[in-house]
Amino acid sequence: MSGGPAVRISIESASEKQVQEVGLDGAETYLQPLSMSQNLARLAQRIDFSQGSGSEDEGSVAREQDWAEEDEEEEEASVKFQPSLWPWDSVRNNLRSALTEMCVLYDVLTIVKDKRYMTLDPVSQEPLPPKQNPKILQLVSKKKSLAGAADILLKGAERLSKSVAENQENKRQRDFNSELLRLRQHWKLRKVGDKILGDLSYRSAGSLFPHHGMFEVIKNTDIDLDKKIPEDYCPLDVQIPSDLEGSAYIKVSIQKQAPDIGDLGTINLFKPLPKSKPGAPHWQIKLEAAQNVLLCKEIFSQLSREAVQIKSQIPHIVVKNQIISQPFPGLQLSISFCHSSNDKKYQKPSEKQSAENHLYVLEHNLHQLIREFHKQTLSSSMMPHPASAPFGPKRMRLAGPQAFDKNEINSLQQSEGLLEKIIKQAKHIFLRRRTARTIDSLASRIEDPQIQAHWSNINDVYESSVKVLITSQGYEQICKSIQLQLNIGVEQIRVVHRDGRVITLSHQEQELQDFLLSQMSQHQVHAVQQLAKVMGWHVLSFSNHMGLGPVESIGNASAITVASPSGDYSISVRNGPESGSKVMVQFPRSQCKDLPKSDVFQDNKWNQLRGPFKEVQWNKMEGRNFVYKMELLMAALTPCS
Amino acid sequence: MEAPPVTVMPVTGGTINMMEYLLQGSVLDQSLESLLHRLRGLCDNMEPEAFVDHEMMFLLKGQQASPFVLKARRSIDKAGIPWHLRYLGQPEMGDKNRHALVRNCVDIATSDNLTEFLLEMGFRMDHEFVAKGHIFRKGIMKVVVCKIFRILIPGNTDNIEPLSLSYLVELSMVAPAGQDTVSDEMRSFAEQLKPLVHLEKIDPKRLT
Repeated sequence: MSGGPAVRISIESASEKQVQEVGLDGAETYLQPLSMSQNLARLAQRIDFSQGSGSEDEGSVAREQDWAEEDEEEEEASVKFQPSLWPWDSVRNNLRSALTEMCVLYDVLTIVKDKRYMTLDPVSQEPLPPKQNPKILQLVSKKKSLAGAADILLKGAERLSKSVAENQENKRQRDFNSELLRLRQHWKLRKVGDKILGDLSYRSAGSLFPHHGMFEVIKNTDIDLDKKIPEDYCPLDVQIPSDLEGSAYIKVSIQKQAPDIGDLGTINLFKPLPKSKPGAPHWQIKLEAAQNVLLCKEIFSQLSREAVQIKSQIPHIVVKNQIISQPFPGLQLSISFCHSSNDKKYQKPSEKQSAENHLYVLEHNLHQLIREFHKQTLSSSMMPHPASAPFGPKRMRLAGPQAFDKNEINSLQQSEGLLEKIIKQAKHIFLRRRTARTIDSLASRIEDPQIQAHWSNINDVYESSVKVLITSQGYEQICKSIQLQLNIGVEQIRVVHRDGRVITLSHQEQELQDFLLSQMSQHQVHAVQQLAKVMGWHVLSFSNHMGLGPVESIGNASAITVASPSGDYSISVRNGPESGSKVMVQFPRSQCKDLPKSDVFQDNKWNQLRGPFKEVQWNKMEGRNFVYKMELLMAALTPCS
Repeated sequence: MEAPPVTVMPVTGGTINMMEYLLQGSVLDQSLESLLHRLRGLCDNMEPEAFVDHEMMFLLKGQQASPFVLKARRSIDKAGIPWHLRYLGQPEMGDKNRHALVRNCVDIATSDNLTEFLLEMGFRMDHEFVAKGHIFRKGIMKVVVCKIFRILIPGNTDNIEPLSLSYLVELSMVAPAGQDTVSDEMRSFAEQLKPLVHLEKIDPKRLT
């Protein structure tokens, strides 16, 4: 080595990789080393499975061999495996554990079989018996689904009932609103706070009565839904002031004699109230009744105020709920305010004298008068013109510029009160009634002549008229002399004759009666006069008021003398209202046998002179009445030629 | 001829000293209908009356600086109605407790020869106008809604033209002096008219 030139020898490590081929240029192509799995697959190909291994040991020997072989190989190819991780390790482990298990099982089975060391007892298991489980499960699930369904149904029902209730509530609400609308159409309403107040007073119509007249509108919706709703149920109710409840009226009556002063003011006269329907009355009826009570109160308070203020000869008496006035002596007008509240204790009927006495006309007229009064207050407050002028009646404002004197101003202020008017009306009514009664009693008492009264249907409150005809039965056409027009006023009766004469009679009953009696007596004489014309007799003398004969206590006697057509006979009639009729007939002198022959009248012609009168026995005459008798008499005295 | 010197004394109307309480406002022509409608509902249930009035202002210059003023007013559309002569005193604004303007007031109804009489007395006419409108009533309160017209030819009330495009609204009340509580009633009434018209106490001195 030392002797030679130094030769460079390059040493390189043996190629770890197998050379697949060497190229012509000398480049070596290496084989890629096998991956682990490829290696495993290659090794597995080499196993000869037919070569069984009886035991583990054999296996292990074989493995040893294999291992050795592998080692050989590994010498060539670099082996990267760890020795413990040889490919069959897991198989072996598994087999070993399986063996252990089998051994244990075998041991356990042997022990159990021998029953020397231990026995096997069934262990009491926790419930869940495998048989019942499905049933319970079914039940539970069914229960659950049923409950779910019930829930849904309940919810639905609830919602339905709620909507039904809501509907009804809505409906009632709507009803309330529509009722309120209707109420609003007839009554004044306004909202104060959360209340609805109404006004039933007549203030807007011109009343000055200080009562506030408020009513409250109540919503009447809290009614039990389950109960049957009554037919007259109304969602709207009204509450009226307690002093306007019940019913009231004004009683006006005329009585003859004054009752005891002690009785005054205690009158509580009630018509038996009409049976009110069960349940609350409709608001309209309620309100109207309350308004009526209010109006009656106003009328009465107005009347009592006037009764105290007005000075009259006989002072008006106001006691409690009664006003007493004396329109005519011995006559008493009583106006009472009757208010039946709902308590029944005042219902003691003292009705016997009341019912027929009640003058409904006057009650009605009182209502009418108070309304006129209202209207007057409304219209008197006219709007001023020019616009800057103060409020007030126009005529009062004219007083200054037109220089009214005291009388004119007084006349402006003066106005008749309610009481005065109603007293006047009462007087008139009383006078009219008495006149009718007088005429009727005369007509029924006296048959000859007849009296007919024709009352006019349409009257003024202060004046009415009646036409009185005095006729004789059967001779109505020829005896029309007496036609009287009686104008009945407040204090007096004016009689207008057919010929235009006017006689004024006072309210005394006797005056009218006397007057009519004298007219009837005159009628008879007038009838004779008319009859004479028809019969062709001549009227010799006629006098309505005879100055001769006995003095009549009422009126004057009247007389007539008529002569027959030939002049032979004459009839003389004297008729007095009290003394009655006296009829005399005068015969020609020739017919008088008992006449003493006078020496003075020698000549025959004097026989034509009339002789003395002879009285006719009138009550023995035939005929139904005076005129008929007279006709017969005249006919008898008329010679038939 | 020179007018005789006149001393102007405060005027009182007889034994009872009457005061006028006044609130004023105005509305445009467009909103007149709604105001009338509202008033018809609020006021006493009488139909509102229309009116056409002719008003003349008469002045009497006295020794004092401020002249003595009288208002003469007559109705044009209604016949047979007396003229109305009115004296109004100095308006008092008062404090906040009083809700209306207050002034002394004397009302007299006169015959129709008032003008000549006043002129004879030494008054002279300052101005005149025609007022057309409606009058309402609520209790003793008076509500006048009117339009003021200018008179183009003096004395001829047919030849007129409107002064503005709005209506004057006056709420007034005449009451004996010292009854300031009545102004509360006026205030509450004015409150009810609020969105339509604002009625306030307007001091005429500020306007000049």
